[in-house]
Amino acid sequence: MTMPLVAINNLSFTYNGTVSPVLRNINLQVYPGQFLTITGPSGCGKSTLALCLAGFIPHAYPGKMTGSIHIQGKDTRDYPAGGLSGIVGLVQQDPEAQLCTLTVKDEIAFGPENLCLPPKVIRKRVLSALEAVGAKDLLARKVHTLSGGEKQRIAIASVLAMNPSLLILDEPTANLDPSCTREVLLTLGELKGRQKTAIIVLEHRIDRLAGITDRLFYMDKGRLFTARGPDKFKKKYVPSKRRHGPMSAGVQVANKTNASNNNKVLPLLTVENLRAGYAARDVFSDLSFSIYSGETLALMGDNGSGKTTLLLALLGLLHNTGGSIYFRGENITKMKASQRAREMGLVFQNPNHQIFAPTVTEEAMLPSLYLSPETPGQIKGKVKKLLGEFELLKYENLNPFTLSLGEKKRLTLLSVLAYAPSLLLLDEPLVGQDSRRLGIFFAALQKHRHRGGGALMICHEPEVVHSCCQRVLFLEQGKLLINAPVKEAFCQLEKMGRGEYLPLQAEGKWGE
Amino acid sequence: MGGVNLHLKGKYKTLLPKAKQKDIYPGLTYVDNPSRIHSLHPLIKLALLFCFGIMVFAVSTVMGQVLLFCLLLTACLLAQLGSSFFLRRLRFIFIFCFFIFLVQALTVKEGFLIWRFSLGYFHLSLWSKGPWEGLRMAMRFINIIGSSFLFVATTDPNRLAYALMQVGLPYRHGFALITALRFIPVFHLELEQVKNAQAAKGIELEGLSPKQLLRALKYILLPLVVSSLSRVDNLTLSMEGRAFGLHPQRTYMHSQVLSEKEKIVLFMIPPAFLLLYFICNCPAALLNTILNIAKSLWH
Repeated sequence: MTMPLVAINNLSFTYNGTVSPVLRNINLQVYPGQFLTITGPSGCGKSTLALCLAGFIPHAYPGKMTGSIHIQGKDTRDYPAGGLSGIVGLVQQDPEAQLCTLTVKDEIAFGPENLCLPPKVIRKRVLSALEAVGAKDLLARKVHTLSGGEKQRIAIASVLAMNPSLLILDEPTANLDPSCTREVLLTLGELKGRQKTAIIVLEHRIDRLAGITDRLFYMDKGRLFTARGPDKFKKKYVPSKRRHGPMSAGVQVANKTNASNNNKVLPLLTVENLRAGYAARDVFSDLSFSIYSGETLALMGDNGSGKTTLLLALLGLLHNTGGSIYFRGENITKMKASQRAREMGLVFQNPNHQIFAPTVTEEAMLPSLYLSPETPGQIKGKVKKLLGEFELLKYENLNPFTLSLGEKKRLTLLSVLAYAPSLLLLDEPLVGQDSRRLGIFFAALQKHRHRGGGALMICHEPEVVHSCCQRVLFLEQGKLLINAPVKEAFCQLEKMGRGEYLPLQAEGKWGE
Repeated sequence: MGGVNLHLKGKYKTLLPKAKQKDIYPGLTYVDNPSRIHSLHPLIKLALLFCFGIMVFAVSTVMGQVLLFCLLLTACLLAQLGSSFFLRRLRFIFIFCFFIFLVQALTVKEGFLIWRFSLGYFHLSLWSKGPWEGLRMAMRFINIIGSSFLFVATTDPNRLAYALMQVGLPYRHGFALITALRFIPVFHLELEQVKNAQAAKGIELEGLSPKQLLRALKYILLPLVVSSLSRVDNLTLSMEGRAFGLHPQRTYMHSQVLSEKEKIVLFMIPPAFLLLYFICNCPAALLNTILNIAKSLWH
């Protein structure tokens, strides 16, 4: 047997200033060319493990590390700081924050240049790295013109140009839409075939990786477990339809009430021939649809198709250049955003942009103080109850910026639910939520619907759409291609060849 | 797969609408053009800008400043930026210059009195040297700002940074500049998102009272600072993970080193400007004498 590339023995790690270890007695061996997937809930220690493997722990992050990691037979502690940079490459979640130069060429050359390689060698490496991620056509592009998926592929290429023996990807698709995700996953599959590089992917949801991966692991509370086969694994850790059972049942009930009411009841929101955009360019035009109370609509489509712009236009943050919007039959097209905000709660994609208060409780109360007619005392009671439901009560006096991404996202949703708007506009609310927390989200959404509220949710996960939405709106380049009940919508999507937007377990069944 | 690819090609354009891209550096931006000025080596342009700046302050005659302005205009024409470049971009500067001219013209009290106006305690007087002094100051201002604008409009900041690093600027400083440029569009987008997020919460940031301004500042700066700090962490990992700072030196894929010809041009710049200085600073009389001598010699 050859020497393992990575040998982890009884590794434990505790960050300075904390008591409980993030990693507990981890043992793992990785051989060249292997493809590993490690999954687990948020905060389970995946990212810390990645930092250990890349040598940033213990060099850059202070803490107590016991046990050992040997990479190519040498203890990571014996490498100088930065000494592992040519051996282990780390690709992170946010494609935006890991590109540091202005052009694709410079970006990929960045690493080899730092290694002081001669220009001839660098040029060769740039080309082969671009080829490896199938992005030769991007060579002459500027970084700020790339899409999210392209950025992530360039990030992978820039790490590959270092010729690493081990490539670690920390949730590489978390910020991407389904077509970009597919693009990146295809790239990973290709890499596995052609490189001797071992690859470790850390992912929340492993459905789409199951086909490529050699070995699956599950992490929980700092411990690493092996999983034998993908099927058994799925049963245990992947959110399945069975898990959302009660939710689906709720959907049925709501659908029935809707069907009987639709004739009599005014829609919550009606959009007629809406057109909006930036400056002289329309992002979308001629959109018409309605949302009824008790209904959850999924808004799907590639990045740049106009989904977020639509939410902004509905709330009036972007002036529409044509068409009209009716709320409960009343024309609100000319109404200001601040007047619409009472009835429409918008939760943005990036929680960092919408957190302003010094403590979690105050943050949760903030919009209600502006928008709700209730007294601060009443609001506080309500918020406290919600914090409990959202598993955030233990942080109530902490600064919201210290929370994890998933927790921040729950907090921003909670702060909107607290003033009970009739219509929720949600921009990718599920990013960073593990399967257990998805349950919390579903329960909150169901409650909202039972109150008669409607929701329009941008969602990139077909499984979630399948189990908790009633209708799908599919946008492509500013045009509403599909506005249909979920099953029918999936059927149409399949006909259009957009398989990446279909739930995995049911792919190929919609055409029947 | 073909369909997907086709789709992606058109997509990057929609990420940042074109009109928005323009707004990112209002007025002061690099304009990509295949002109002679653009293709000059950035270091040569930097030396030209530097010498030109010194000249503007060293030359003390109005005619000299006008001559410098003519040089600047010629460079602008060569750069093919369009006739509206100066008028459109420097509109505000021209207005400002006019005020400099007015203030100088009305406050310098040298030469002889041309015009006087009194209204009770309020006096206005114009002396013969005032307008000249005003013109000189205004021209100086236009020349300095105009040359800087021209430099920025014709020099790719990325190329400049790489060129500076290759002639000895420590690469950490060079990359500080490049990274800053890289994140300007990102910040611009984030600022928009923060503003939207506040409006969605019913917080109106309009109004100009000190209290409202302070609140707006707090609500806008805090999220921006926090999101950039979290970016900084990721960026550090990404850069150090690719061996940034591992060695005291680094190599470059594209050489930006000056060629022999460019080196000669670079060394010619200071003497050329020295000559220009003597021409510009010649009193008009001396210039006339020289011209007369030249004429008589010709005949």
